[in-house]
Amino acid sequence: MRPEVSVLKILVTVKLVPDTNADKRIDPTTKRLVRTGVETVLNPFDEYAIEAALQLKETLNDGSTVTIVSMTPVSGKEVVRKALAMGADDAVMISDDALGGSDLWGTAVALAAGIKAQSPDLVITGTQSTDAISGDLPGMLAEKLGYPGLTYARKIDVADGRVRVQRETETGYMTISAALPAVVSVTKSANEPRYPSLKGIMGAKKKEIKQLAAADLGLTVAVGTDGAKAQLTDLATPPVRAKGQVVQAPDPAEGAKIIVQFLKDRKFL
Amino acid sequence: MQNVIAFIEHKHGAIRRSSLEAATQARTLADQLGGKAHAVVVGDGAQQAAQTLKRYPLDQIHLSDEDRFVDGAVDAVEAVAKATGSALVLVGNTMIGRDVGSRFAARVDCGINADVVDFKTEGGEVSCVMPKLGGLVITTCKLTGSPFGVAAIRPNVFAAKETSGAGEIVQIPSSGKASTVTVEDEVEEAAAELGVEEASVVVSGGRGMGGPEPFTTILKDLADAFGGAVGASRAAVDAGWVSHGHQVGQTGKTISPQLYLAIGISGAIQHKVGMRTSETIVAINKDGNVPIAEFADLLVVGDAFAIVPELTKLVRDAKAVHA
Ligand SMILES: Cc1cc2nc3c(=O)[nH]c(=O)nc-3n(C[C@H](O)[C@H](O)[C@H](O)COP(=O)(O)OP(=O)(O)OC[C@H]3O[C@@H](n4cnc5c(N)ncnc54)[C@H](O)[C@@H]3O)c2cc1C
Ligand SMILES: Nc1ncnc2c1ncn2[C@@H]1O[C@H](COP(=O)(O)O)[C@@H](O)[C@H]1O
Repeated sequence: MRPEVSVLKILVTVKLVPDTNADKRIDPTTKRLVRTGVETVLNPFDEYAIEAALQLKETLNDGSTVTIVSMTPVSGKEVVRKALAMGADDAVMISDDALGGSDLWGTAVALAAGIKAQSPDLVITGTQSTDAISGDLPGMLAEKLGYPGLTYARKIDVADGRVRVQRETETGYMTISAALPAVVSVTKSANEPRYPSLKGIMGAKKKEIKQLAAADLGLTVAVGTDGAKAQLTDLATPPVRAKGQVVQAPDPAEGAKIIVQFLKDRKFL
Repeated sequence: MQNVIAFIEHKHGAIRRSSLEAATQARTLADQLGGKAHAVVVGDGAQQAAQTLKRYPLDQIHLSDEDRFVDGAVDAVEAVAKATGSALVLVGNTMIGRDVGSRFAARVDCGINADVVDFKTEGGEVSCVMPKLGGLVITTCKLTGSPFGVAAIRPNVFAAKETSGAGEIVQIPSSGKASTVTVEDEVEEAAAELGVEEASVVVSGGRGMGGPEPFTTILKDLADAFGGAVGASRAAVDAGWVSHGHQVGQTGKTISPQLYLAIGISGAIQHKVGMRTSETIVAINKDGNVPIAEFADLLVVGDAFAIVPELTKLVRDAKAVHA
């Protein structure tokens, strides 16, 4: 616990994912994602995390900083730069072939080590990634870092060395707080992420992107494919949904009847 | 892995359906693995929840009254898991379920699989089957390298079946730890209603609904007729017509109801990935040339505002005949 945090070092974790707008395809022979024509982008959920961090920095307006952290191959550099173009100060990339094939556990271990080395006051994450859709990393990071974990935040305030968030629940929200340093995951309803301005894009070219390799993390356990505790054993393509019937219903009562008959045939009614 | 532990999520003793699914599935898996089925229930109302759990096929129901936000649950699951020596922990793939499962996995250094829709057990090993990339691929992942593992199960996929088990209630000793997170208040903004993840019928509205009203009138009436929930496309959520908790799709929820009705929704890829694993998909759209025509089992081309009220009437009539 830090008795007096004045200037905050805010870290935002971002994942790089295959473009969400493309209808992704699996090559039936190699069973791998066809990446040609599929761009790598910032995980859309993480844009809310970046925006939340930038807003916090702007509100505090005291020299607090925002650092982007991503565990991703070196080739992801230009995408990380987009996060810098939004307004983050600098970035740390954790890139190493030895980290390829990491499962959630391995990712949490490596990422936590990289984060810890930055001594942050606040770690902000997205709620989930669009490719893995696990939503588990925020909790795992909190545990591995030994920080309190405040997930599903739609509003974040920091004062007097504590972070207070509105955590979404299924039926509303709860207000929870904890001492810094802490991990906070941010939901989509928190804000509207900004677009990088031209000035931001130009400025980002000069911002520092620090590279960390596996050896820099001081890991004592094997991660990557070999260390994975959830090992991929099979990858299959699900049966394609067949095109069903399309029925014109100029008469609404007739349309309703067609649906009801269909539901009766399928034993829903 | 030998034993199976279902983490039970509840609100003042009222158990979430996905947790009853976990409790039922715990038995099935424990039998396959030759171990015991446990449940862990924590916090205010745990006693009452434990009584409900007696109707489910569990060997032991572990109870802790500690109400420390998330930490109390993680500590309790850890204590029970370590006492069994080897266990698979089942949580619902819900906000609280994910928090507890992920924290436990990181704490004991075990594998975790999210959004599990099927299991395979072989030679004491557990593999989980999960759709990824929005259902584009079905992956199978084996939990390995630890006596423990976590599976977050997708709600509404596994059955919840009442069958009494031994149901022995065991008190977990208090940890004496302090909370790291302070809960200051809790605000209910909406009446507690069935979430889209848990409903077996989901009636979703899109931009074609034109405003907020249909979500509380015609769509809600149809959902009520089925005993289901109201969902929405992102277009409807972004327009502020309905809250984000209802959103289905890539940046909303991924669901597998038995019946999905898409009303005034075009079926964009980001919407599709959230509902393509529904058992049956029925769409109403005034345009027959929309993407959803390619994957709905039935698309009725017409005006939703005229068809939906008629449909609700007919559904109510059909249900009344059976009642
Ligand atoms: C990164 C990213 C993430 C996204 N995540 C999601 C997500 O999670 N979920 C999601 O849904 N979308 C998501 N989207 C948005 C998605 O691309 C579509 O824009 C959205 O799904 C469109 O919603 P819609 O079908 O309601 O609207 P539209 O595409 O505008 O369709 C409205 C439909 O209503 C029909 N209609 C109009 N009036 C009537 C009437 N009276 N009766 C019958 N039919 C009528 C029209 O014919 C039309 O087909 C995402 C997009 C991006 C870029
Ligand atoms: N490789 C990664 N590098 C940095 N952050 C990540 C990585 N993977 C996941 N995250 C963060 O964890 C959040 C949840 O991701 P996930 O658990 O994969 O669904 C994301 O929104 C990111 O903020």
